[in-house]
Amino acid sequence: MSMLILSGVALAFSGFATNSIVMDRHYADIHGRGKEPCAATRARLRTLGWLGLALSFIACIGAGGWHIGPVLWCGVLSVAAWTLVLLLQYAPRKAMLGAWIGVPGALLAIASLMLR
Amino acid sequence: MKPGVVVKEGLRQSMSWVHTWSGLLVCWLLLLVFMAGTAAYYRHEITFWMKPELHKAADAPSRIATADAAALAVRGLQQRAPNASGWFIDLPHERNSLITASWTTPPKKGMSRAERRNAFRQQNFVLDPMTGLETAAPRDTRGGEFIYRLHFDLYYMSALWGRWIVGIAAMSMLVAIISGVITHKRIFKDFFTFRPNKGQRSWLDAHNATAVLALPFHLMITYTGLVTLMFMYMPSPTKALYGEEQNTMFGEVFMNAERGEPATKVAAPLADVRPMLQQAERAWGEAPTRIVVSHPNDAGARVELVRHPGQQLSNIEPSMTFNGATGELLSSTGAPSTTLAARGAIYGLHVAHFADPLLRALFFICGLAGCAMVATGALLWGVKERQKYAKVVAGGGKVGFGVRLVDALNIGAIAGLPVAFAVYFWANRLLPLDAAARSNLEANCFFAAWGACAILAQVRPTRGMWRFQLTLGALLMAGLPVLNFFTTDSHLGVTLFGGPALHPLAGFDLVTLALGLLLGWAAWWVGRKGLKRAGAKSSAARAASVAPASREAA
Repeated sequence: MSMLILSGVALAFSGFATNSIVMDRHYADIHGRGKEPCAATRARLRTLGWLGLALSFIACIGAGGWHIGPVLWCGVLSVAAWTLVLLLQYAPRKAMLGAWIGVPGALLAIASLMLR
Repeated sequence: MKPGVVVKEGLRQSMSWVHTWSGLLVCWLLLLVFMAGTAAYYRHEITFWMKPELHKAADAPSRIATADAAALAVRGLQQRAPNASGWFIDLPHERNSLITASWTTPPKKGMSRAERRNAFRQQNFVLDPMTGLETAAPRDTRGGEFIYRLHFDLYYMSALWGRWIVGIAAMSMLVAIISGVITHKRIFKDFFTFRPNKGQRSWLDAHNATAVLALPFHLMITYTGLVTLMFMYMPSPTKALYGEEQNTMFGEVFMNAERGEPATKVAAPLADVRPMLQQAERAWGEAPTRIVVSHPNDAGARVELVRHPGQQLSNIEPSMTFNGATGELLSSTGAPSTTLAARGAIYGLHVAHFADPLLRALFFICGLAGCAMVATGALLWGVKERQKYAKVVAGGGKVGFGVRLVDALNIGAIAGLPVAFAVYFWANRLLPLDAAARSNLEANCFFAAWGACAILAQVRPTRGMWRFQLTLGALLMAGLPVLNFFTTDSHLGVTLFGGPALHPLAGFDLVTLALGLLLGWAAWWVGRKGLKRAGAKSSAARAASVAPASREAA
């Protein structure tokens, strides 16, 4: 259960981070002033980002059931988002690197859901 | 311009006005409600921390069986209050490792509500879960219960008044949240944005980040908070169906044993509770956590066994009711009706009894974010309004009365309330143990500290006052673990390495330490800002730093 919560946090952070790094302001912060992502990159990362958030929801439901899970997910989302906000301001490149945490997060979530 | 666009702009602007005033008028009270509510998630832990006499007994290495614990509590109650109107026994479980028992007596004629409550507070005892013997009498304190009640009853007034005042503030808050979402122009574009050191823009970013990113929590907590007292705020449906007989409604709808049938006045000794507990434990697969006996030693006695609701949101606890005289099972709550379950879930979400330690911590963090949201919103008004006086101030003039008042109230609430909470805990450790009405004295210390902070702020609402009160709060909060070291045997050096029953104590000390550091950082930040301001000599430079920086300009 705690593994699922952990992967839920990782996926939520990664989902938000992936979405945020193709937003104009944050993209420019990372890649330099005036730079904009191409449409294909933007669409791809957005899809991945939403996928991460969806997976994080599934992980939280897996951890807490249909009653508690959604509540847990909301809390996890808030904490992940606040972490990202600070990271985007003070170390924007780290936010981009941090987005990769969704990959082990997804693997961990799938593994713990299948091993149940 | 298309007409549709005009309407949209109009709506947003009018909502901005609604948001500002629905928020500002109640924000200082809301801050108190939010802080107390956030702390109340840990009210049992706070109460435990505030009764150091119980710490040793709670750390017992082994416990007696639940049924035996119940029998011991019943024996104690038989000795003390055989003719009580109700007995309440809390059995050891996850968040409480002691056996606590209390009783109510039929109110004497002419007793006021407050007198009855004070009498009830004396009618209890605590048993050591290992030996079954009574523990050393804990100090007279209301502990976390004071903070919990403060959250919706306020203090120094009848609970009815308190609940109406808090309710109106909560309704105002709900309006502020909804109008805030409508008026927020860039809710998605600025979703992850925080730009520090940019004056008003930074305060707005901080207000948005604490509000938007925990919006589900804020909406939920405000709405469910109102629902917890819905029979008071919306009495018409009950009145239409039951007239003035509200208690009949509670008895019928909630099957509440306390408001159930009256005593028969025929004496009959209470049956042994052990077989009842064993029966319940067999049926549930887990031990009951609470026992409520109504009319003990009467032929109409009822014994209600309650267990923790487990993995569900609803705060409706499954229970079994036994005939107290014969010991036979009368009824067992099955699934509640859909309506009752829905209300239970809404109520349950607010009080979060279902939360395990991690989820409880998330609720606590979201509560702190709520405090930050209210505080930044209040500060934002001052920052915005102050700009109107930028030229006047630069010319040596003064800001308007409104700005001065709001500044002073902000200091008194944002910096003063943490001082008050810390003083409450200091009073718990330092007040003489034999002081008369000690628990009331502790509460008085809370309000004396808060009042002093609020008055000082009104006298001198300056940057120096911010620094002074924040520093004071930091020292008092971070000083609590130190004070604990000198006044108890359950300080961090013991609790960090002790058994699981002591972990809440360690948690308390560590959280106050962290909050103290946070306040200290805020004090340092205010001081640094002051130096910078003093450094900017020309009024032109000052005006430039206040003017909203345009992002697009770059």
